[in-house]
Amino acid sequence: MNEEFKKKYWERYLRLKHHGVKFYPDVVYKDLVVSFALFLLLVGLATFVGVKPEPPVDPNDTSYIPRPEWYFLFLFEFLKFIPGELEWVGAVVIPGLAILILFFLPFLDKNPYRHWSKRKMGTGIMTAIVIAMVGLTIRAVATTPKQEEGPVALTLTEQIALGQELYSIHCAECHGPDGEGGEIQGVEGLEGVVLKPINSQDEMYTRSDQTLYNIIEYGQQDLGMPPFGRAYGGELGPAEIKAIVTFMRYTWDDRVELPQEAQVGGMPQLGPDEVPSYDEHVEPLVKRYCISCHRPGKKNNNYLMTSYDEVLHSGDHAPVIIPGDPDNSIFVQLIRRQELDFSRPMPPTKALPDDVVDIFVRWIAAGAPKTAEEADQIQAQQGGAAPATPQP
Amino acid sequence: MTQKPSRTQALYAWLDERLGLTTINKLVLDRKVPKVNWWYTLGSATLFLFILQVVTGIFLTVYYVPTPDHAYDSVNYIMQGVRFGWLVRGIHHWGASFMVLFVFLHMLRVFYMGAYKYPRELTWMIGVLLFVLTLGMGFTGYLLPWNQRAYWATTVGTQIAGTPPIIGPWITRILRGGEEISALTLSRFFALHIWMIPGLMALLIAVHLYLVIRIGISNPPSKDE
Repeated sequence: MNEEFKKKYWERYLRLKHHGVKFYPDVVYKDLVVSFALFLLLVGLATFVGVKPEPPVDPNDTSYIPRPEWYFLFLFEFLKFIPGELEWVGAVVIPGLAILILFFLPFLDKNPYRHWSKRKMGTGIMTAIVIAMVGLTIRAVATTPKQEEGPVALTLTEQIALGQELYSIHCAECHGPDGEGGEIQGVEGLEGVVLKPINSQDEMYTRSDQTLYNIIEYGQQDLGMPPFGRAYGGELGPAEIKAIVTFMRYTWDDRVELPQEAQVGGMPQLGPDEVPSYDEHVEPLVKRYCISCHRPGKKNNNYLMTSYDEVLHSGDHAPVIIPGDPDNSIFVQLIRRQELDFSRPMPPTKALPDDVVDIFVRWIAAGAPKTAEEADQIQAQQGGAAPATPQP
Repeated sequence: MTQKPSRTQALYAWLDERLGLTTINKLVLDRKVPKVNWWYTLGSATLFLFILQVVTGIFLTVYYVPTPDHAYDSVNYIMQGVRFGWLVRGIHHWGASFMVLFVFLHMLRVFYMGAYKYPRELTWMIGVLLFVLTLGMGFTGYLLPWNQRAYWATTVGTQIAGTPPIIGPWITRILRGGEEISALTLSRFFALHIWMIPGLMALLIAVHLYLVIRIGISNPPSKDE
C-alpha cells in the first residue's frame, strides 16, 4: 500500500466528512431509535414469550436429545455431512480456519476497492457462506425430533401436586395412600411384609429432605425397598424424586406450614345431592387410591384405571362397573370388602374411607358420567329434587 | 457587562476545568462524520445489547448460585420469587440471542461495505475477537441454568471440542474441569461468563470505540472508490 493511495483516501474521506453531518445529534438520533426499539422488543419477548421452563439436570436420562443454542446449530448440522473419523476437521479445523481468515482479512484481501460491485469474489463467497449457514440452521431445526418432556413443576403448588401423583403411582402400593404403612398385599416379592408408617413424627422429624431423596433414589435394598432413581435402574429422575419429597414434607410434617400462595387441592368436595363426575370427583380418587396397582405392568387382572374408558371397560372380568347398577358392579362389591372367588377386597390393605366409597357408589348409580356437564344434566333430569345450591 | 453565571454553569465550569468535558464533547459528540445510513446503527445496537447484558447479568448474580445443588433452584427462584426477576432474566435470555445476531450483522455490514480496509484494519481485527468472545459468552452462559437443555448441550459441545487427535481429550478435560461435567465445570463456566470474558470484552470494546472515534466512521462506499 503506497503513500499515494493513503493520501488519496484521506483527502476523499475528509471531503466527505466536511459535507457530512454532526455525530450528535444526527447519528446519535438514529442509534437511539434502534436501541430503544430493540429494548422494547426484548421487554416484549420477556413478557409475552418468556423463557421456556426446562427440567433440571439428569445425567442418567439418556432419552434427552442434546441440542446446542440456535446460533451453533449450523455447525452441528454441518458436522453431519462429515464422516466420523474426520469429525474434528469439521468441528475444530474448519471453524478455526474461518475465524483466522476473518481475523487477517484486511491483509489477505489486496483488492483496493470498497464497493461490493468491484469485489464480486469476496462478497460472493461471503454471501454463499451466509446462505449456507442459514440453510443449515433451517435444516437443523426442521430435522430435530421433538423432545418428549413431562410437565415441569416450578411453583410449590405444582411440585406438591406432581409429588402427590407420583407418590400414588409409585409408593402407595406398599406404603399406603397416606404413608400409613401396614401389611403389604398384592405386591410380588413383598407379600406380607409389614411396613412401619412413614408419615409419623418419628420419620418426618428425623429424616432431612436429602435423606428422603436418597432413600427414594437408592431404595433400602436390604429391607426390600427397590431403587426408584434412574441412576440405579428405577423410573424416576431428580425432579420427580424431589417432587415426592416436597409432597411428603408438606403433607406429613406438622412443623412445616404451607405458604399462603400455595393452593393445594384437597380431595374433591361433593354436595349432599350432587351427582359426581369422573373428571371432577372420581379421577382424583382413582389416582390417589387405585392407580398404584391398576396400571400396566402390575398384577391386577388386567383391570387398568389410567383413563375413563379403562375404568369402565378394561379387566379380565369386565364389566367391572355397570353404570346405573352399583350393587351388581364388581367394583362396588370389592370396595365394600366382599371376598369374590377371583379377587380379594380392594384396596387389599385397608378399606377406603366411607365418604370415598359413597362417592364411587353415587357416581355409578347416576350412570357413571364423565364430564361435569353430563353430571349436571343427569342431576337436572332427576328433577333437581334437592338442588345443591338454593334456588332464588 | 457580564452576567453572573448560574449555579449549574458554575458547576459545569468547575467540572470542566478538571475533567475537560468541553474537549471530550468536541472530540466525541460534536464532530463531523460522513453521511451514513441506517445500517450504521448495528454497531451501536450491539454496544447497547452488551450494556444491557452486563446490567441484567449483574442483577442476576445477586440471586444466582453457581453450584449444582442450587443453580436450578436459584434460577427458578429468580423466575418465581424475585419481583421482576422474570423480566430481568427474560431480557438477559433473549438479549443473548440478539447480541450474537447483531454482532454477526454488524460484521456483515462492515464486510459488505469494505470498511475493514485501510485505515481500519485493527478495528476489524478487534471486532473479530469480540465476535469470538461473544460466542464464548453464549456457550458458557448456556450451562448456567443447570437444566437438561444446558447440561446436554454442554456435554455435546465439550465433546465436539475434544474430537481432534492427541490434544482433543486434553481440551475436553480443561473445559469440563475433569472427565465429566460437574460442579467444577459449572464454576469454571461461571467465572468465564461473569468475569473473564466480559472483562476482556469491555477492554476490547473500549479500544474498538477509541479507534472508531479516532479514525472516524467509514463512509458508505461509492463505485469509483
